[in-house]
Amino acid sequence: MKNAVVQGIVIVVLFFSTLLVLNQIDWMTVFNVKKATEKTEEKLGELFWEISKKTEREINNQTVTNSIDSIVTRICKANEIERNNIKIHILYKTETNAFALPSGHLIIYSGLILAADNHAELSGVITHEIAHIELHHVMEKLIKEIGLSVLVSMTTGNSGGEIIMETVKMLSSSAFDRSLETAADIQAVEYLIKANIDPEPFANFLYKLADEESESMKYLSWISTHPDSKERAEYIIEYCRDKNIKSHPVITQETWDKLKESLQE
Amino acid sequence: MINVTKFPYEPGDHEAEKASNSYLMSLIALIVGLPLPIVNLIATLMFYLGNRKGTYFVRWHCIQALLSQFSMLLINSYGFWWTMIMIFGSETLSSKYISYIIVVLIFNLTEFIATIYTAIQTRKGLHVEWWFYGTLTNVICKSGA
Repeated sequence: MKNAVVQGIVIVVLFFSTLLVLNQIDWMTVFNVKKATEKTEEKLGELFWEISKKTEREINNQTVTNSIDSIVTRICKANEIERNNIKIHILYKTETNAFALPSGHLIIYSGLILAADNHAELSGVITHEIAHIELHHVMEKLIKEIGLSVLVSMTTGNSGGEIIMETVKMLSSSAFDRSLETAADIQAVEYLIKANIDPEPFANFLYKLADEESESMKYLSWISTHPDSKERAEYIIEYCRDKNIKSHPVITQETWDKLKESLQE
Repeated sequence: MINVTKFPYEPGDHEAEKASNSYLMSLIALIVGLPLPIVNLIATLMFYLGNRKGTYFVRWHCIQALLSQFSMLLINSYGFWWTMIMIFGSETLSSKYISYIIVVLIFNLTEFIATIYTAIQTRKGLHVEWWFYGTLTNVICKSGA
């Protein structure tokens, strides 16, 4: 019996030591898995954006696109985020919503811009979505909700248009996990501070929407997909308390007014 | 790792065939049962139950085949469910998963080769004892039973 136990232990040790040795190798690089994943994400992003583009009208007004671009560029530059990886699309829609698609596509509805009182509030929401992109939350959510097999079948054209439509709908109208939302909020605040944008207006925007939440929930999609706004606003304020925040406006008040005017037209 | 030793008595041709079949059973079930790792264990177990009142030589080899399948079931099941979670759940492909699958493949391949070799040798009436499994079988399987 003693022999059997010793030999059994040797086999178990052999198993785990082989595993330990193999774990030292970065198989993802060896098999080019990262590249393949990135390609899948890229294809999904383009596919989802094509679908969104078909159903809504894109805003190409220079005042609007340039202003949003200035905000995004400031955030990216200050945080060493590759600017070209964030693809901004502004769509005409009354909903107060913004959401991220795979491969860095960020959709902003005109309703969200109009709901913001100043550019810092809008910057907060945009930064929150950029944080979701940078922290790879979009793919994580998609894999969790839909499964890798369905996602891959979408990219190979084996999935119906309806499934793709439903997936885009899910991305635009459902929340991430609470932990992911918190992580994105904290990351967004970090990004804002580094970009010299005061995060307080972002918290104020959440407070404001939380107050309006009860009566106009159905119109305020960003709030319905991001619950507990009051609580979030509070921890953002708390998180910023000891930080040294310098604030330099990204765009002038005049440009902001012009931007809103162009959207109202 | 594999020892061809002398059995307490010279097994007859009929016994050698049955003992060899216990290994073949796990091989056939492995092909049929992929990717469900439990199929080969069930097949080997059924073969053992059918022969548990057989001669000492047959019983001995049925138990050795069964024990080897049992440990394979553990590592294969873990790999199987990990793969399922990855395809249908939240898990993503990682270096750790690839390492585990490589280890599973190495162990399965070793077991596969050992099984074929043992099936051939046992058919010739030779007694083949595996490292650990053979020792454990000697503890479990007694000639007088």
